[in-house]
Amino acid sequence: MWPYLFALPFVLAYAAFQLYPVIYSFVLSLHDWNGISEKTYIGFKNYVQLWTNDPLFIKSLWNTLIMMLMFIPLTLILGLVLAYWTFQLTRGKRLFQTINVLPYITTPVAIGFIFSYLFDWQTGLVNLLLTKFGWLQEGFYWLQDPWGSRAIIALMVIWRNLGYFMIIFMAGMTVIPQDVYEAAKMDGSTGLHTFRKITMPLLRNITVFLVVTSVIGGLQLFDEPKLLYGGWSGSAQVGGPDNTALTVIWKFVDESFISNTRFGYASSIAYSLFVIIVFFSILSYRLTAPKEDKR
Amino acid sequence: MNAAKTAKTLMWICLVVISALSLFPFYIMIVMGTHYNEDLFKGIPILPGDYLADNLKTVMSADFMSVYLNSLIVSVVSVVLATLTSTLIGYALAKFEFRGRKALQTFVVLTMMVPTQVGLIGYIIEMRNLGVGNTLWPVILVWAAFPFGAFFMVQFIRDSIPNDLLECARIDGCSEPGIFVRIVLPIMKPGLATLATLVFLWSWNNYLLPLVTINKSEWYTLPIFISNLGIVHRTDYAARMLALTLTTVPVLILFVLGSKTFMKGLTAGAVKG
Repeated sequence: MWPYLFALPFVLAYAAFQLYPVIYSFVLSLHDWNGISEKTYIGFKNYVQLWTNDPLFIKSLWNTLIMMLMFIPLTLILGLVLAYWTFQLTRGKRLFQTINVLPYITTPVAIGFIFSYLFDWQTGLVNLLLTKFGWLQEGFYWLQDPWGSRAIIALMVIWRNLGYFMIIFMAGMTVIPQDVYEAAKMDGSTGLHTFRKITMPLLRNITVFLVVTSVIGGLQLFDEPKLLYGGWSGSAQVGGPDNTALTVIWKFVDESFISNTRFGYASSIAYSLFVIIVFFSILSYRLTAPKEDKR
Repeated sequence: MNAAKTAKTLMWICLVVISALSLFPFYIMIVMGTHYNEDLFKGIPILPGDYLADNLKTVMSADFMSVYLNSLIVSVVSVVLATLTSTLIGYALAKFEFRGRKALQTFVVLTMMVPTQVGLIGYIIEMRNLGVGNTLWPVILVWAAFPFGAFFMVQFIRDSIPNDLLECARIDGCSEPGIFVRIVLPIMKPGLATLATLVFLWSWNNYLLPLVTINKSEWYTLPIFISNLGIVHRTDYAARMLALTLTTVPVLILFVLGSKTFMKGLTAGAVKG
C-alpha cells in the first residue's frame, strides 16, 4: 500500500495540472472558440487552415528552423572545444566553469534587454564601437534587418547556453577512464589525434543528449526573440522586422493571448508543434546516435 | 616544444576572451544602472556613474519590494511542492516492488517528453474555472508535478540509499512514513539541494507563464514587472537596468556560493541518460 500512497501526490498533480490541460487543449483544437462565446465543433478545420492557408505559421516554423541551424552546431562545437581546453587546465578549472555558466542562470528578461541595448541602431554599444574604429561608416540597423535579427537571436542563445554545453561535455570527460588515454599515448597518439579518435567518439552519448534536448528546446524558442523586441525599444513589435524573428511559440502566444483570443486555432498550433517536436527528436536521435544503438 | 607553448598561450587567450564575453553584458548592465537615464545616450558607459541612489528611488517607488516578495513566494512554494512530490514518487519507484511499478516508471519518462506549452491554453482556462485565474496560483501549481524532478529522484535514491538500512529500520519497527522522514530525507540532502536550486532558478526566471496568466500589477513577478517598468512610467532605461541588476545579482551570488552542488545537478541528467 505504501508505494502507491507515495506515488499518489505526483500522479494526482500531474493528472490535474498537466495531463488534463493537454487533453483539454486537444479538444479545443477541434473547436472554433474565442474564450467567451459558444464553442463550435469544426473537426480538423483548424489544422487544415493552419497548414494550407496560414503563410505566417509556415514562416514562423521556417524562422525557428533557420535560427536553430544557426545556433545548435555552433554551440556544440564551441562548447566541446571550450570543455576540452578547460578540462586540461590544472588550475582555474572551477573559475572558468563558473564564469561561463553565469549566462545560463540569468533571467531571459535581462538577456533580452542587454542585447537589444547592445545592438540598438543609434545608441547601441556595438554600433558605437564599430563606427569609432572606422569599420562602419554609420550604424547598422541590426534589429530591423531580416538576417541581422535572426543572427542576434542566435547569438543570444549561444551566449546563454555555451557554458551549459561546456559543463555537460566536461561531465562526460570525467567519466572517460584515464587508462584509455595512457594506452593511446603509448601508441604514439597525441593532441588533436587523441581528441578526434578517443575523446569525441567516447562523448557520443553526451552529444546525442545535447543535440536532442537542444532540438526540443530550440523548437520552443520564445523568450529571446520576444524580449529582444519587447524590452529595450518599448515598442511591442510582434515578430520583429517583417516577421523574420517570429517563432512558432510566439505565433501561438500571439494568436491566443496578445493580438487575438483564438483558443481553438492556437491549440492546433501547439499540437502541430508537439508532433513536429516528436518527429525532430526521433530524427535527431537517429542521425546522431551510435550505429550499434539503431538495431 | 615551442609550438606546444604557442598553442598553450593561444588556448589561454581564447579562454580568457570567451570568459570576458560571458561577463561583459553583466558588467554593462550593472554600470548602466548607476547612470542618469539621459546620459546613457551620450556615450559609452564604461565607468560607474553616481546616479545609483536616485535610480534606486525610482525602482522602489514602483512597488519593487512587493514584486520581489511575489517572486520569492512563487519560487519557494514551487520548490517545496516540486521536491516533495518528486521525492515521494522517486522513493516509491526506487525502493519498492509493487504491481504496476514498470508502468509507473514508463509514465514518468513519458511525462518528461510533453512540453508544457502544449497544454498552456487548457491550463489557463482550467485555472480561470477554478477561480484562481489572475493570481499567483497558476505560476505555482505548474510545479506541483515536475517530471524531470521525479526522474532525477528515482536515479538519485536508487544510487544513494542502501536497501539494508531500510530493512533494519523496518525490523526495528519504524513505520513507513517514519522511515521516509527520519532515514531517507536526511541521506538525500545533496539531491534535495540540487533539485531545489534548479526549481528555484527556473521558476524565478520563468517568463512565458506569468506573461499570459497575470495581468494585475499586484501579482506581477520580477520578469513581468521589469518588462513593463518604463512602459507604464516614463521610459527610464537606467532604472530598468538597476531593477535587472537587483533581480539577477542575488541569484548569481547564490550560484557562485553553491556552484559545486549546482554543477552536479545540471549534469546529473545528462551523464546517466
